[in-house]
Amino acid sequence: MIFPKWTNSLPLVLGLVAALAGAAVVPAVAVYLTPKYTRAGYQPVQPVPFSHKIHAWQLNVDCRFCHNGVEKSWFANLPGASTCMNCHSQVLKDDPRLQIVRDSAANNTPIPWVQIHKTPDYVYFNHSVHVTRGISCVECHGRIDQMDEVKHDKSLSMSFCLSCHRDPASRIRPTDKVTKLDWAWSTNSVEADMLQESEGKKMVAHMKVESLTSCSACHR
Amino acid sequence: MNSNPTNSTPANGRRYWRSMDELADTPEFKDWLHREFPSNASELEDGQSRRQFIKLMSASFALAGVATLGAGCRRPEETLQPFGQQQENYTFGEAQYFATAMPTRVGAIPLVVKSYEGRPVKIEGNSLFPGSNGGTDRYAQAAILDLYDIDRAKKFKRDGKEVSRGEALEFLVGLSQKFSANGGEGIAFLVESSTSPSRARLQKIIALKFPKAQWITADAIDSGIHQRAATQAFGQSVRPVFNFDKAKVILSLDCDFLGGEDDSHNHIRKFTAGRKSVAGMNRLYAVESLFTLTGGSADHRLRLPASQVIKVASAILASVMGGATPMAAWVAECAKDLVANRGNVLVVAGQRQPMEVHLLAHAINTALDSIGNTVTLIPTAEAPASGLKDLEASTADTLVILGGNPVYQFNWTSKAKTVVRLGYYEDETFAKANWNFPATHFLESWGDAVATDGSVVPVQPLTQPLFGGLTDLEFLALIAGESKTSAHEIVRATHELFYQLEDRASYPEANWKKFLFNGFASGQVKPVNGVRIDQKILGELSVPQSMSPATLSKDNLEVVFFRDAKTDDGRYANNGWMQELPEPITKMTWDNAVLVSRATAKALELANGDVVEISLGGKKVSGPIWVQPGMADYSLGLALGYGRERAGRVGNGVGFNAYKIFSGKYIETGAKISKTGETHVLACTQHHWSMEGRPAVREFNRTEAVEAEEKHENIAEEKFHGVEPPIVASLYPNPLDEAKKTALHQWGMAIDLSACVGCGTCAVACQSENNIPIVGKDQVARGREMSWLRIDRYFTTDPKRKNNPSRFNPNSDMNQTDEQQQSQSWIDDVQVVNQPMMCSHCETAPCENVCPVAATVHDQEGLNTMAYNRCIGTRYCSNNCPYKVRRFNFLDFNKRPLTELKGTLYNNALTHSTGEGDKKEWDLLRWWKDPNSGMRTEDEWDLIKLSKNPDVTVRMRGVMEKCTYCTQRIEHAKISQKAKAGASDNVRLTEAAGNIPKTACQQACPAGAIVFGDISDANSAVSKQKLSPLNYAVLGNLLTKPRTTYLARVRNPNPAMPDYTAEPLSTEEYEGTLLTTHKI
Repeated sequence: MIFPKWTNSLPLVLGLVAALAGAAVVPAVAVYLTPKYTRAGYQPVQPVPFSHKIHAWQLNVDCRFCHNGVEKSWFANLPGASTCMNCHSQVLKDDPRLQIVRDSAANNTPIPWVQIHKTPDYVYFNHSVHVTRGISCVECHGRIDQMDEVKHDKSLSMSFCLSCHRDPASRIRPTDKVTKLDWAWSTNSVEADMLQESEGKKMVAHMKVESLTSCSACHR
Repeated sequence: MNSNPTNSTPANGRRYWRSMDELADTPEFKDWLHREFPSNASELEDGQSRRQFIKLMSASFALAGVATLGAGCRRPEETLQPFGQQQENYTFGEAQYFATAMPTRVGAIPLVVKSYEGRPVKIEGNSLFPGSNGGTDRYAQAAILDLYDIDRAKKFKRDGKEVSRGEALEFLVGLSQKFSANGGEGIAFLVESSTSPSRARLQKIIALKFPKAQWITADAIDSGIHQRAATQAFGQSVRPVFNFDKAKVILSLDCDFLGGEDDSHNHIRKFTAGRKSVAGMNRLYAVESLFTLTGGSADHRLRLPASQVIKVASAILASVMGGATPMAAWVAECAKDLVANRGNVLVVAGQRQPMEVHLLAHAINTALDSIGNTVTLIPTAEAPASGLKDLEASTADTLVILGGNPVYQFNWTSKAKTVVRLGYYEDETFAKANWNFPATHFLESWGDAVATDGSVVPVQPLTQPLFGGLTDLEFLALIAGESKTSAHEIVRATHELFYQLEDRASYPEANWKKFLFNGFASGQVKPVNGVRIDQKILGELSVPQSMSPATLSKDNLEVVFFRDAKTDDGRYANNGWMQELPEPITKMTWDNAVLVSRATAKALELANGDVVEISLGGKKVSGPIWVQPGMADYSLGLALGYGRERAGRVGNGVGFNAYKIFSGKYIETGAKISKTGETHVLACTQHHWSMEGRPAVREFNRTEAVEAEEKHENIAEEKFHGVEPPIVASLYPNPLDEAKKTALHQWGMAIDLSACVGCGTCAVACQSENNIPIVGKDQVARGREMSWLRIDRYFTTDPKRKNNPSRFNPNSDMNQTDEQQQSQSWIDDVQVVNQPMMCSHCETAPCENVCPVAATVHDQEGLNTMAYNRCIGTRYCSNNCPYKVRRFNFLDFNKRPLTELKGTLYNNALTHSTGEGDKKEWDLLRWWKDPNSGMRTEDEWDLIKLSKNPDVTVRMRGVMEKCTYCTQRIEHAKISQKAKAGASDNVRLTEAAGNIPKTACQQACPAGAIVFGDISDANSAVSKQKLSPLNYAVLGNLLTKPRTTYLARVRNPNPAMPDYTAEPLSTEEYEGTLLTTHKI
């Protein structure tokens, strides 16, 4: 006899262990390795403690004051330091937290902001076509105007994109309200939902908004 | 339990293993093993053992596992770095376009270059330029790759050692001082032809300052003969401009004006303008020895050794002048046709033909009243008087070389003490020069040029010089001792001078801005009118007999040297796109060959790939044989521009160097050939010459087409010879019918085969636009080339000489191999047809329903899309594609080092190390440090990243790809329109609004043969094309419903000609085949 008797049950034990391990790994991967987990919540420390809450909410600066390329390009540009200095040459002009910004404007050296929102290389997301056609910043970026430090709010996974692309009426809003992140069709949330549905459909029909779900819409 | 298994002898099992072990040691077993696998398949060829391989594999899996668990969960941290000072009028991510021009030998090609974030990515023709349709030639399309060439000269060097820029410039200033002191005694300049007014101005300044300096202009491909001939014929300094669009009958005397001649893209545009309308179609006669693109487009082609073309020319002149010289029927009828079309005739002589032929051509043109109509003479600066001979005779002790590569092209050996050189590469001449200055690319330079129509065009930089470097103007200005040494200032000063001639009072800044914005300044050139050819010259010419060559035979062969369709004179030898572009007629890549006719090959007992030694005038060179249908007998065609020794990583050692036996004359006789016994593998992309009985290309004679047009009846689709009607109607509804109701557009394309000459510009444009990698000769030979757009070239022949049209006869053409076809006499006189072939975007695409992962599906606008990130590489789609237009990335071609393109064994990260000497690093380790590094060295990798079009995904290994109708351009146009529409519903692109995108191939096509647009718009150009009686779908009987359709080619033969056939020869291929039988 080469193998002791207990080895008879070994295949069964191994099988059970494997099944249990599998049962644990599959949901673990499904949860922890998806964009929902890996991306949403990402909040790196930025070189300058810039607060969107102060600028966009308390001071009510329009998004496009700084991100001025967003209606023209696929990319929502970050402002050059000279844009910051338009105000900060007067306001907080000696604040040590803004030293990097002042240096950047003076020496024309870039500020290394850490990138937060990023689609994969094979996705050709275009900001201009969304914001000019009634899709608000808030749909993908969340309430940036409530964030002191920007964090990745939505998963930006393919299913996230498709949820809206399949039904643009559920997210569309008047094009002049795109940068009003707290805007809704009504202050009453139930009424707002109803209006979104009815008005959204009207807008989609009126503006000939396409529900684009073919590959070529995003992948080139 | 404690029994020792090795000593105990349990009956079963172990014996079995023992016997296996024994078996493994027997020679029989080893034999079997090696029979089981193909030779060497059981070994890794690079000396790594299987055990080593397993070790490495497990190590890499372990690393990959660690990577996934650790850093792989999150993407690497990347930074966004905005400007310190925000730029005005600049939006990151939006392309910018600048007008510039590519200087050529006799002119310039006006261009508009697309640039992203300060890096040029795509070259396009300037459609604002008068007469231009936005087309270019293939050299212009490929030129952008040279900008990002890793092997460019980057450093200032003295005797091969690097010196600082300051030191090098100091030397030039010293040179200037030295020679201004002695009036230029002992300095000579060797330059290539250029039309730059600024360079001419600097040359004059130098001539004033250094009166004794010598100025030598020498080109390997001498295109100046047209100007010299016209100047001699008409007695004043003029340059001929050939208006092919105004000619009804054209005779080419060995003039490849659609291919090898300079300014071919203009010629193609003008020539095809006269072929698009069936009613007013021109007729082209070609007399030539090589099979060229011009011969391919000709309605009648005479195969004749190049050295005998002069006989035809003088016979035709005699006939035109009323003389009755006995001559062959072909020539006599051609002459009659010319006379019948008096005034609308154009006779052109080839660049490689001697002066006499050019003068004869001008004489015929004058006799037939063509001067001023089909030939315009424009006044020009005098042609440079000096040439190659002056270079050999030069005794200057300081020689300044601008561009060119005399060591390679002229076998030049320096007699000068100091050779100073401005060059783009560290090439053959670099090794012989004492001082080397890196030259800039034209996309990095300020400059100017004169286009062939006489208008001045600016050369505007798109980027700062990537590696420093000097422009030729800066270089000359430094030597001239000018105070203004920046090229921008020099060009601007020239431009101001140019304007001051007309309006001295003020030079408005707006003029300069407009000049740069438009990319040209026109309206200054007035053609010379009312000139006649000098009768004295004609009198001298009427005795061509004295120079008639001896009869050619297998011991007295003629050699024809020609400008290569890909490397030009060698300057694009290191350009991978050009090396991999199939030569338009031979379809050969990565090589040149000795082109011979079938009869010549038979007489000399040669076959394809046999390496032969050619001896000519005591000089010898060896190269492989290629049997080319339609070549003149006993004439050898040698492409210049190959066999480079110091071209760079791509071009080194590709082909053989025909310059070794070249002495400045393009046609020579008295050559001998001998077999060396070696063979050379040639990578050709289209071996099959016939259409295998399927009417892929359809042709008509003009009379038929005119009739059909009058009756408004389509003759190309269903009534065409041998077209098999669909066996059943489609069982399923067309899936696009639903989408067509709501989609904004439906894209489609029509390609006019009468206009396509097969030049290949579209193929290079596609490569540039769509980030298509090159794969190397070995991979091309395995059929793995990646080009999305290919041009199929078919040879067809006289039915009387054809073998047997039955498909089941083994001797039938379609059942013959390439080798067998080469021995058939029918290949001697062939017609050629070209057909650009790329994804047809079938509405019922056969590729889509076999994809197991739905990686290729239709979008609502009729595009057959390809989601690369979903593709798992089964290649079922490619198998099921009847057009064979899908391309598969067998290897990571984008990450493959350029030096390893030529090898047969592809290394992967496990078995490969990158770098040299101490810096050599195992690729797996490099991958660990940076997963994107690939197997390319850092500098190569940085440049390759710059050169890619950011709008198109760079595909990796194992992914299927194909023509997308330039979906990125379509999307860009749609998005721009939608962003502009805002809250309105004005989202549709229309031709009326002018916002329909152009595909890269369409944009580049100088003939305008490709029309793309919205077929749901009845007024679009493409819809109108598709209503033509000549419109047909390739393999439409398969019910694929392709969106790309073709307009049948129309030939315009002369019924009086001896080689006239009532139908184009290709139609014979389908007669009597199975397809027709089935139809009955």
